[in-house]
Amino acid sequence: MKLARALVVVLLFGAGQLQAQNLAFVACPIVRDTKTVPCWLAEYKGEIYYLGNQGGVAQDFYPPQLNHEVLVEGVVGEGPRVCGGVPLRMVKTSVFLEINRACNTILPAEDAIEAPESPARPPTGEAVSWVRWDGPAESTLFFDFDNDFLSLHTSTAVQRLAQYFQQSKASEIQVVAFRGSSKLSNGDVLTEQRDIAAARAAKVRDILIGLGVPQTALKVLLNNEARTPDGINDPWSRKVTLSVKMP
Amino acid sequence: MTAPTAANTGFRVDKFMMKLCRVLSLFLCVAALGGLVMRAQVSQPQVQWFQAGAGVELPKELTFANAGGRLGVLNSDGAVDTSGHPFFEPLGINGRACVTCHQPSNAMSLAVSTIRERWQATGGKDPLFAAIDGSDNPSLPQDRENSHSLLLNRGLFRVGLPWPPAQNSNPEFSIEVVRDPTGVNRDPVWGLKSAKPTISVFRRPRPVANLKYVLAPDNGSFNVKLGVLLDKDPATGKPVSMNLMADARAATLAIQAESAYRDHQEGKGQLRQDQLNRIIAFETQVYAAQVFDNGAKDLTEAGGPGGLGPLNLLQETAGVLNSPAKPVFLAFDAWKASTEFRQSVARGNDIFLNRTFWVKDVAHINSIGLGNPAKRSCAVCHNAVMSGMDRAPGWVDLGTTNYPTWTEPKTWNEPGELPVFKLTCRTDARPHPYLGRVIYTSDPGRALITGKCTDIGAITMGQFRGLAARAPYFSNGSARNLRELVDYYDRRFDMRLSTQEKEDLINFLGVL
Repeated sequence: MKLARALVVVLLFGAGQLQAQNLAFVACPIVRDTKTVPCWLAEYKGEIYYLGNQGGVAQDFYPPQLNHEVLVEGVVGEGPRVCGGVPLRMVKTSVFLEINRACNTILPAEDAIEAPESPARPPTGEAVSWVRWDGPAESTLFFDFDNDFLSLHTSTAVQRLAQYFQQSKASEIQVVAFRGSSKLSNGDVLTEQRDIAAARAAKVRDILIGLGVPQTALKVLLNNEARTPDGINDPWSRKVTLSVKMP
Repeated sequence: MTAPTAANTGFRVDKFMMKLCRVLSLFLCVAALGGLVMRAQVSQPQVQWFQAGAGVELPKELTFANAGGRLGVLNSDGAVDTSGHPFFEPLGINGRACVTCHQPSNAMSLAVSTIRERWQATGGKDPLFAAIDGSDNPSLPQDRENSHSLLLNRGLFRVGLPWPPAQNSNPEFSIEVVRDPTGVNRDPVWGLKSAKPTISVFRRPRPVANLKYVLAPDNGSFNVKLGVLLDKDPATGKPVSMNLMADARAATLAIQAESAYRDHQEGKGQLRQDQLNRIIAFETQVYAAQVFDNGAKDLTEAGGPGGLGPLNLLQETAGVLNSPAKPVFLAFDAWKASTEFRQSVARGNDIFLNRTFWVKDVAHINSIGLGNPAKRSCAVCHNAVMSGMDRAPGWVDLGTTNYPTWTEPKTWNEPGELPVFKLTCRTDARPHPYLGRVIYTSDPGRALITGKCTDIGAITMGQFRGLAARAPYFSNGSARNLRELVDYYDRRFDMRLSTQEKEDLINFLGVL
């Protein structure tokens, strides 16, 4: 079973990307109005890329923010332009904290440009850019760069895991928090702030305790050394892993 | 609910008014009884003041005239004998009761017009004007009208909060008083540098009615905006809505009542459990909404919109999210082919639900994963069915209190009525997402509780019910009427509402 799961992960995150072009860059996001919902774009080296549509917090894609730069990480997709941009898939956007007032472009709606139909809401806890499940007892939560915010998907996953802990009469939940780094397509490397793993661990720990998991049943580990980024799997290095252990 | 009139509630109301006569002045009684006669015909101004400790019976159903028509108040558990009732009796030392600032005639809040009437009627001697928070600064001479200017002009009470915050002794920002028109924030006894360092902000009292909608927590245990657990009721361990107060500092009605007893009534010690129980029992059974509108007429007639009037508020389910199947204030279709005014109300409802505009730079809306800007309608944020609040914890920095979108004079160094604070965030803190690390504000809002920069200027949305009975609006009382409220949104978000659209929205809000 473990081997099968590993193969699936490789297929999802690795093999498919061997032939694909990964992109990672920092840019001002651009919002384009349309007749339906706005769509979000970003420009890199003279090309416009499509990131996703405006949606709700239940969607996998959380749009970026004007007045802030954004780290865009994704895989260049195939097929026609979407909303005027080259589509990126497996896209992850991380809003930078500090304000940049130059990031203020709103493009007007144009007849020839339409937003694609928004994807259906992913089932709770199964938004691939936020959560990965490896069986009911193991989950990995993903985070935006330099951010400890738990999205609707990740907080729901923590709740599900706490319920599993209680129902299975397990003895321990191991929480391992990681600090990540990203290699940009121009070769630059961005590393998350030093205390980010601790902040992520604290958030998850507090939620688990608030949901009734005894503090004594929690084993919290921090991995403060960021791995060497490869420009491919970097978004998945910003994470917290949760494992329910049986007695 | 059939709107009660003097005809169908006459006996009870007459008895009630006669008892009131014994405790109010002759002038007030004559005016009040005159108002009752008028009530059966058209809405006329009338004295409608519930004096603390008057000991009168509060009937099951009442109506009160206001400028827009009539407000209906429903005590769903039946008539309330207020004699000895801790909501209606003064419990502290200053003569106030809960009812002093939560008047049935004002949808269980307090309109500035009522406050002015009380000043005129009592020469400023009513406990409402108690120095502790009914004046601009307790150190000012209390017999002068201009010492109570914020209460008299904007309906604002002083809220003194400890600095640093009680729940965060290491806040993410420093705070400096840069404008202090009332003098209270630099006062040696009451101010920031006093023995008990205090920040004073000025806020409107929130309606104590329809509370099942205010108290209903979002689904699950989480505050989806922050990705953390909701606060819990310390008595039950259950999640709470965090929507009760402007800064969400009180998780429950019990906590709020205790703090109001100490801070507003200057009570000593704690309320007894039986007093708390009676206060909460009263507060959770009272419903208030407009029942008659001068333009739309009877708001509760059969076949009309299903969300209007207090009886519908009693009967609907709390905690429901806006959806096409169940819009925030239910359907107004019945009025789309009715009188011109009712058609306007129905159009206003459609604008509220469906007219999109760029919502931008609103902390805790745009910053929670919705994108900035987000092209949305009013109902996306005001999404809780029947109340128009946010079903999730609803503190957001709409912009009313923070420079440059605030409602105050254009720059902080111009003369103004409200204090201005300069907040400087530490470099290791997450800055306010749209204002950065140095922020001028007339009310830091939720940040005075959490000490977080991201919360600066965030104020919990209020409910939309009984608006016609309780102007002015916004927590800082800056919108004197519904037109000014709509105008603020129009400016703030560049909505480009037409004159007709504004009128439709105003008419819609007025019937709620």
